Amino acid sequence: MARDGVVLEVDTVSKSFGALAALSNVSLVVQAGQIFSVIGPNGAGKSTLFNVVSGLHVPTTGRVRFRDREIAGLAPETINRLGVAKTFQITNIFPEISVFENVRVAAQSRVRESGRLPSLWRLPDVEAAAADLLRAFGLAAKRDEMAENLSHGEQRYLEICLALATEPTLLLLDEPTAGMTPGETKEATALIRQIASARGLTVLLIEHDMSVVMGISDRIAVLHFGEKIAEGAPEEIRSDPKVVEAYLGPPED
Amino acid sequence: MSRALSWRAVGVWALLAALPALPFMSKFYLLLAFDALLFGAIAMSLDLLIGYTGLVSFGHAAFFGLGAYASAVLLERGVVSLWACLLFAVLVVGLYALVVSYFSTARRGIYFALLTLIFAEVVYTFFRYTQTFGGSDGIQGVPPPRLVGGFAIDTPMRNYYLVLVYLGLAYLACRVLVTSHFGKVLVAIRENEDRARFLGYNVQRYKMAVCMISALLTGLGGALYPGRSAFATPDLMLWTVSGEFIIMVMIGGLGTLAGPVVGGAFFVLLQEKVSSYVDWYFIVIGLVLVFIVLFMPKGLLGIRELLGGRRWRATA
Repeated sequence: MARDGVVLEVDTVSKSFGALAALSNVSLVVQAGQIFSVIGPNGAGKSTLFNVVSGLHVPTTGRVRFRDREIAGLAPETINRLGVAKTFQITNIFPEISVFENVRVAAQSRVRESGRLPSLWRLPDVEAAAADLLRAFGLAAKRDEMAENLSHGEQRYLEICLALATEPTLLLLDEPTAGMTPGETKEATALIRQIASARGLTVLLIEHDMSVVMGISDRIAVLHFGEKIAEGAPEEIRSDPKVVEAYLGPPED
Repeated sequence: MSRALSWRAVGVWALLAALPALPFMSKFYLLLAFDALLFGAIAMSLDLLIGYTGLVSFGHAAFFGLGAYASAVLLERGVVSLWACLLFAVLVVGLYALVVSYFSTARRGIYFALLTLIFAEVVYTFFRYTQTFGGSDGIQGVPPPRLVGGFAIDTPMRNYYLVLVYLGLAYLACRVLVTSHFGKVLVAIRENEDRARFLGYNVQRYKMAVCMISALLTGLGGALYPGRSAFATPDLMLWTVSGEFIIMVMIGGLGTLAGPVVGGAFFVLLQEKVSSYVDWYFIVIGLVLVFIVLFMPKGLLGIRELLGGRRWRATA
């Protein structure tokens, strides 16, 4: 039995693609309610780690446990139904339907009819949940816009709305502020923090913008060439010489 | 009215029901109207796949032809109950569609289209060369089916009303389906299949289900065909027929249900009209189709939008 309060446990996971070891023996433990960030330079294995947790990749070795349940190797839809939702680094929405319809299809994934025969004729009412989410992300006025016509920042928010609409316990955010202006990034960071605590979410975040990570995280792990080289509270990471060297570059003065 | 039925749809259906009252509606025109509505309904069933789910089936002629054979085989052997014919068609087409959809939906895009095509060609070849089912002549001269007791569907008028009922029920079923939970997932699959998986949907199960539904509706349409023509031949399953079904959907307007009904009817009428004047009618039809695809990308129903009407594509 895993300890109380552990939501996600990645246990000595390795993933190789042919001769390339994208992840080697990475372990981490995410506690309930934490915002846990994984940082590292490009190619460090961050996205591979996410893909292993969310079901896109089967780890070569190691185990992934979500709330005491082994999930490594399960299909993405199964893992999502257990309570893990993922957002994508490159915006991944339903482009040619309205913003509201985007959130609706995500929200109705959790209704009782989903996957059962009555879903062929019933249309569940998810208006309240969808409207709440759109309001929280400032998209309420755009609900009837075609999703592809939203601005980049708005699409990034819609991306998060889709994941949240499936009512996850654990939210995997893959560079949620990618491509945002510094102003937008600051706003988005505050919003994520606020929504995570309001909904009691546990968040695993990939980010390479240090200002985002430092401001939002309870705990940070650093990946470098597929290995975890450090883990700790933001202040510890900031001052860890290995991290500074590997990730932030050599000190300037 | 309800989310499934508009007054406009009821109005159009009522007009169609009044059509035989027109003075020039000879037996010939009634049978032409039968074909127009039958193929309209089949194009509509195919629209569930192409327009809503983004799956292009190149093998729908096999569902149609199998339905026709199922019905003809029973009629030929003296089982003349319409209901028995329909039930048998559902069984035969359902069984075949289960196999096709299981294997085809495991692949995407062009591979899905090719798999449906290959399965359909196998069925075509089987009926073309199996003497039990008449080989290339098919099953000819079957008696008309009976609705109840001695009431036979033996006149063009009765056939017309039968197909009108079929079209109405199929439209209602499709309309309910695309506005349901299930229909919303189909559109999500069309828009972004991978994302739908990460929202907890078992995409292949949804694809299989919609393939089955589309195939069964098409097969039921096929089962009505021998009652009108008194035959079922392997030519009904030719891949060109599948191609025509796709064209009907395209020219009518993808993802609208009503559009493909119009497209199917338009195609049948155009083919009939042009072929009665010139031998090289396929060239004329081809040109008309090219024109529609190039200049009316939303199909015949999209003309409303060109004229300032509201957006028809049923994505919301």
